[in-house]
Amino acid sequence: MWRDKEKKAPTQKATSKAWEDLPGLIDPAPAPEEPRPITPVTPTYFTEGSEKPMSETILKTANSSSSGQRQTLLGSSMVLKGELTGDEDLTIEGQFDGTINLKDYCVTIGQHGQVKADINARQVSVGGKLSGKVNARDKIEIRKTGNVVGDLVAMGVAIEEGAYFKGSIEILREEESSTSSSSAATHSRAAVSTWSA
Amino acid sequence: MAWTSQQKALSRTPQPGTGAPVPSQGLEWLWKHLQDVRQPQILDCGPVSPATLQVLLNRRAKVYVADLITPALEADPRFWDRSKKTPLFLTADFLRQLPEIPPASVTAVLSWNLLDLLPAESLPNVLGLFYSLLAPLGVFYCILREPFLAAGIERRWWLESPASPRSQVDAERTFPHPPITNREIEKLLPGASVKIFLTRSGRREVLAMRPAELRI
Repeated sequence: MWRDKEKKAPTQKATSKAWEDLPGLIDPAPAPEEPRPITPVTPTYFTEGSEKPMSETILKTANSSSSGQRQTLLGSSMVLKGELTGDEDLTIEGQFDGTINLKDYCVTIGQHGQVKADINARQVSVGGKLSGKVNARDKIEIRKTGNVVGDLVAMGVAIEEGAYFKGSIEILREEESSTSSSSAATHSRAAVSTWSA
Repeated sequence: MAWTSQQKALSRTPQPGTGAPVPSQGLEWLWKHLQDVRQPQILDCGPVSPATLQVLLNRRAKVYVADLITPALEADPRFWDRSKKTPLFLTADFLRQLPEIPPASVTAVLSWNLLDLLPAESLPNVLGLFYSLLAPLGVFYCILREPFLAAGIERRWWLESPASPRSQVDAERTFPHPPITNREIEKLLPGASVKIFLTRSGRREVLAMRPAELRI
C-alpha cells in the first residue's frame, strides 16, 4: 500500500510538467487575473529623433479612481528625451530629459524619478530628483525625499523638512498672475497678512 | 565662589539639541532696514528650512537657497585637497555651489555661522563674492562666536519669525578654526558699514551694509 502511493506521486508530477511544457495549452487552473487600471495611451507622444509614436509600454494612462481624471505614468525603467505636452496629469518614475508643458495639469515626480527639464504645469510635486526651471500656476511641493536644483516660480511653494533644494524661489502674487484663481489669491493675501502681524 | 564673566557667558550658551528662539537685535535691524523694499532678494546659505522659507516668502522675498553650511561643517572632501602635507581648502569649488545670482542684486545674505566653519585663508574670497552679490544698501548678515567659546557649533539655523532665529547646537563639537575678531571682519569688508550686536549666548551678530554708491 505504501509502495503504491510512492509509485503514483511521480506519475502525477510528470503529467503536470508535461502540461506546462506543451505550447499553446492553458494552465488547468489559471489564477484569476487582477483588473488592470493601466491602459495604453493614445499615441500623442513621440520619442526624440523618431516619428514613431511611443510604445504603449513607455507611457501608460490610467483613470484615477478618486477624480476620474486621466493620468499618465512614465515607468521606472523608462528613459525619455524630448518635449512633452498634453491634457492630463503626469507621474514620472523613470528618467526624463527635456521640457514638460502641462499647463492645466499636475506633474508628479516619484521617489525614483530623475528629471532634467523645464516644467510648466498647474501643480508640481517632487519626491525624486529634479533639475530645471519650474513654473506652476498653483503650487510646487518638494517631498522629504526630493532633491531639486533649479528656479521655482509658483503661487505657493511647500518644502518638507529633510528635502534638498538649491536655487531660487519666487511667489507669484495675484497682481502678477493674470490667470490666478480666487483660492490662490486668498492664499497669497493670507501669507502677506501673517507677515504684517 | 563668584563666576568670571567668561563662565557666566558659557553657562548661557545653547544646550545640545535645539536652542530656544531668541529675539535678534541684528535681524530686527535688518527687517527695519528693508521695510521699504517691495520685493527683497535674499540668499540663505543654510540647509533649506521650511520655517525660514515661510518667513521669507511671507515677506514677499525672492529667495535663493544654497546650503554652504553642511559641507563646511562636515569638511566635505570635495572641497579639500589633502594630497599635500597641509590640506588646502578649494574655495572656488566651494563657492560654485551657489546658484546663479546676478551681481549687485541681492538685498540680504543670511550666512548664519558659515564664517566660523571656514578656514581663515578662504574668507577674503568668500566675503568678496558675497559682497559682489549685494545690491547697493544690501546687507550681509552673519553670526560669529565670541573668541572665548571653544565648542558648541550650530548645525543649522532657521527663522521662527522674522526676528527670532533658532538653532540646533552640537554642544560638544569644537570649532575647527580660530575665531574671527571684529577688526578682522571690518578689514575683510572694506567700504562696508559694519554693525555688531552682542548676544547673550556668546555670539555676535554682524551686519555689513554695502554703500549706496557702487565701487566696482
